[in-house]
Amino acid sequence: MDLAIRIGIVLAEIAAVLGVVLTHVAYLTYMERKILSDMQDRLGPMEVGPHGLLQPLADGLKLFFKEDIIPTGANKIIFSAAPILVLIPALIGFAVVPFGRDSLVIGEFEITPYITDINVGILYILAFSSLGAYGVLLGGWASNSKYSLLGGLRSAAQVISYELPLGLSLVGPILLSGSLSMVTMTEAQGGGFWHWYVITQPIAFVIYMICAIAETNRLPFDLPEAESELVAGFFTEYSGMRFSFFFLAEYANMILVSCIAVVAFLGGWQAPFSFMEFVPPIVWFLAKVYFLLFFYIWLRATVPRLRFDQLMAFGWKVMLPLSLVNVLLTSIVKYFLNQM
Amino acid sequence: MKNGMNLIKTVFFSEILKGLYLTFKHLLAQRVITEQYPREKRVLPDGYRGVIVHLRYDDNTEKCVGCALCEAACPSHCITVESAEREDIPQKRYAKRYILDVTKCVFCGFCVQACPVDALASSKEYEMATTDKRDLIMDKEAMLKLGDQYFPVRAKRPKHSQDRYDFFKTMKQTEFPTVKKGAA
Repeated sequence: MDLAIRIGIVLAEIAAVLGVVLTHVAYLTYMERKILSDMQDRLGPMEVGPHGLLQPLADGLKLFFKEDIIPTGANKIIFSAAPILVLIPALIGFAVVPFGRDSLVIGEFEITPYITDINVGILYILAFSSLGAYGVLLGGWASNSKYSLLGGLRSAAQVISYELPLGLSLVGPILLSGSLSMVTMTEAQGGGFWHWYVITQPIAFVIYMICAIAETNRLPFDLPEAESELVAGFFTEYSGMRFSFFFLAEYANMILVSCIAVVAFLGGWQAPFSFMEFVPPIVWFLAKVYFLLFFYIWLRATVPRLRFDQLMAFGWKVMLPLSLVNVLLTSIVKYFLNQM
Repeated sequence: MKNGMNLIKTVFFSEILKGLYLTFKHLLAQRVITEQYPREKRVLPDGYRGVIVHLRYDDNTEKCVGCALCEAACPSHCITVESAEREDIPQKRYAKRYILDVTKCVFCGFCVQACPVDALASSKEYEMATTDKRDLIMDKEAMLKLGDQYFPVRAKRPKHSQDRYDFFKTMKQTEFPTVKKGAA
């Protein structure tokens, strides 16, 4: 009985987190379109609902009822499996993100502000996010189309070259907090914004942000789906629900990398000053995530796409050495601080 | 020194920051260039050349005399005029059939310039979208109707013409020579 209730609580938490994330994904598209249009002196979606507020709903319905086409010559099994292979890793990472500070205690049961706190949280997210690249690559290959294949290959190359500095940039916060758990990492940054790792690890933060954009295939690193060169890249041949899975995965990934950045560098749910702690921790967390998402969209409106050789050169010749140097310096400083 | 400055600029992404500042300015400005077309319509300039329409005089008689100069002036051959003599007034002609094929029309306004009696005008009508192409082949009635809509202020019929009608009426009674009577 006790176990059943515990399982029920966990399932309810998973459902709540998934619901919130998917709603956010839907409205992130709206936010992106509105901010982009404002920056380009346009109005953006205005037709469905007041100021186009129901547009994501209409888009979702449209995608849901569209015909599902599998091109001839496509490998049917892999073609159907690829979108799921992309979506699941994007959503599964939210399991270890701590959204707030206080647990809700009802009787002897405790509802935590995170689904689970495993002691290798960041490693778990990194492992799953690199699994998503398989979906992209397989989807591109199984479509039997040269655009898709090129998009998939580009994506594989890009993800491999940017995953290294991404992981290495997270080593800084891991060294400083002495833990791989997201919860412990957030707690280690308490007591004012000068304890946040963005202050002590500025290079790692910049590297992380750039690599995160590259990981989520966003502009200026959206080479896998460069529409002016590859139509839509790896999901050129996809339609209907399968297309929307890729779409959902891209935006869910955006939210996920923002969440990791907030936890690892911006203090998670911690308030910037101790006198501002009357604001609920979850509000701080959401505000920071929204700011990072806004920054992604802002960057998309500003920067043009890189050339492929520039992308590779930047990844291997600048980001990787910088992140290695950062890890080295951080470990040395940490060692001498521990000696004192 | 210069290289050092460039290095610092590269390290701090100064070019990208400049671009970010520019886009942020546009976000704050809230300037909108596009129009919400079916809801907001732009004010058209006076010289706008829309669909060609027929005009009337203030006594509701049509201006067109059926001279077919518009047909001659039309570069895309979209006007067809079939002229006939009026039954009531001899030597007076009118357009028995007048067809404007809007699908061919290039809205150049040459017909308006060619018309000797100012019977034609360019309206500001541009929303002619239809699912039936035959709706776009306009006859005189349709053009007059559009003309009434766009040009409610009508020109006065020239005064002397009434005298001419009376003159022709008397002449018709006294065997006017041009009344065709078995002439070839």
